[in-house]
Amino acid sequence: MLWQATLETLTMVSAATIMATLVGLPLGILLATTERGHILEQALINRVLGAVVNIGRSIPFIILMVAIIPFTRKIAGTSIGTTAAIVPLTVAAIPFVARLTEGALKEVDAGVIEAAESMGASPPEIITKVLIPEALPALILAITLTAVNLIGYSAMAGAIGGGGLGDLAIRFGYQRFRGDIMLQTVIILVVLVQGIQMLGDKLAQRLYHRS
Amino acid sequence: MIRLRNVEKVFSGKTTVHALRGVDLEIVSGEIFGIIGQSGAGKSTLIRCINMLEKPDRGEVWVDGVLMNGLSDKDLRAARKGIGMIFQHFNLLSSRTVAENIAFPLELAHVPKQQIQKKVESLADLVGLADKLQAYPGQLSGGQKQRVGIARALATEPQILLCDEATSALDPETTSSVLQLLQQINQELNLTIVLITHEMAVIQEVCDRVAVLEDGLVQEIGAVVDVFTRPQTQATQRMLQGFVTPKMPSQLATAENTLLHLTFADQQVHQPIISQMIRRYGVDANILFGKIDQMKNASFGTLFVELSGPQPQIEEAVDFLRKNQVEVEVLS
Repeated sequence: MLWQATLETLTMVSAATIMATLVGLPLGILLATTERGHILEQALINRVLGAVVNIGRSIPFIILMVAIIPFTRKIAGTSIGTTAAIVPLTVAAIPFVARLTEGALKEVDAGVIEAAESMGASPPEIITKVLIPEALPALILAITLTAVNLIGYSAMAGAIGGGGLGDLAIRFGYQRFRGDIMLQTVIILVVLVQGIQMLGDKLAQRLYHRS
Repeated sequence: MIRLRNVEKVFSGKTTVHALRGVDLEIVSGEIFGIIGQSGAGKSTLIRCINMLEKPDRGEVWVDGVLMNGLSDKDLRAARKGIGMIFQHFNLLSSRTVAENIAFPLELAHVPKQQIQKKVESLADLVGLADKLQAYPGQLSGGQKQRVGIARALATEPQILLCDEATSALDPETTSSVLQLLQQINQELNLTIVLITHEMAVIQEVCDRVAVLEDGLVQEIGAVVDVFTRPQTQATQRMLQGFVTPKMPSQLATAENTLLHLTFADQQVHQPIISQMIRRYGVDANILFGKIDQMKNASFGTLFVELSGPQPQIEEAVDFLRKNQVEVEVLS
């Protein structure tokens, strides 16, 4: 039972992290580069995108999960179960990844971007050869943070039958007074979070070359 | 090589700043041209107008016969590959090694990998960093970082190198080694170098000609020796104060004697003019202060001398100095 729940949590979190990154990263790049004074300055796009992202981030996850059930059904074919839970988790994480990406890219020294421009780099070249490589340690940490957050969110996925450790802890540990199961799930969650964070830190550290 | 015609640039924001108010400038192929000014004079904007990192609001920028502010984005990017640039804070990519940094503009120009490697090695040799190719910028000193910057700027074999306060973040010793390198590449590669700085010493050491910028306008332009020894405008004089022309400590001068400020240009530095004057006119000379400045292609001397003796003889002595092309300023 514990093993099953751990697998479900890992499935939900890793799938949602990957998909949220695939969508959120480009969005974050767009947010950062369309800002005033940046390489693709577009005030209108920037403002609209910023507003959409803010709305996405202000909806509580439990409400979002229920509200997008029709959308979930369309994508996953069903609105209950682990696979279905990946959809709202991804949707909730996208704006989060977008903002973190934006922040990471804005930390890239404007001088370095200017230097690339002076060498005749085009905006796509600046994004792929300057912004992303220079911000890579920060981006890795952002994705790590997203994964850790998603572990927390996934506990609520039980509400739509998503399963996972959080669900187990609530249904068995809390509602049926099984203190032992509660303790075990919490320990596994702690180990997961520690593991993910350690992995992210190590990777970021290896890619970080500033003195 | 580079010609600016009535270039204007206004930054409008909370407060409007008229950074350039109509700059005219001509920079000749193969020279090292300096632009000096206080911070806020517009020099940083000016140098960025040459490669269009700042687009002028009015006026024309010609580089090698091409009107830069008429180019499309695509053509501009191509044109920029012929203009190298180095920066005060080096602006190296921290995620790339020295070799990868130097290779960066070559990647942008789609040079084949094997050629890149060869080119990178020869550039690293040129700037004296052959043993640092695998280091990251974070492991280098300021001077080494600027050398990487120079190698990177030269990678695409540009005809022009723009230097944006390239030595301002370096200590004096490193500054002069970087300046020597700039002089070396100027001669070896016949590279036209434009540099902006607020340091007189930089202009003095490497530049052939200089433009003095103040309030977004070129106040004075000419050969470095001329501008430094015979400044025509107040802006230049202000900037030179205490640099080439030292300030005379007023308490040294005694009221009854005649105090002269003498300026020698190139040839007179080697002539025994003062001793000739003393012998011929029978005046006493007391040298209070003196120095010789070394410019790139010239030397230049300054003397503060106190003369005592009968008034007519002193006047004749002063005439003698002037006849020998010594510039004389009678201070008291």
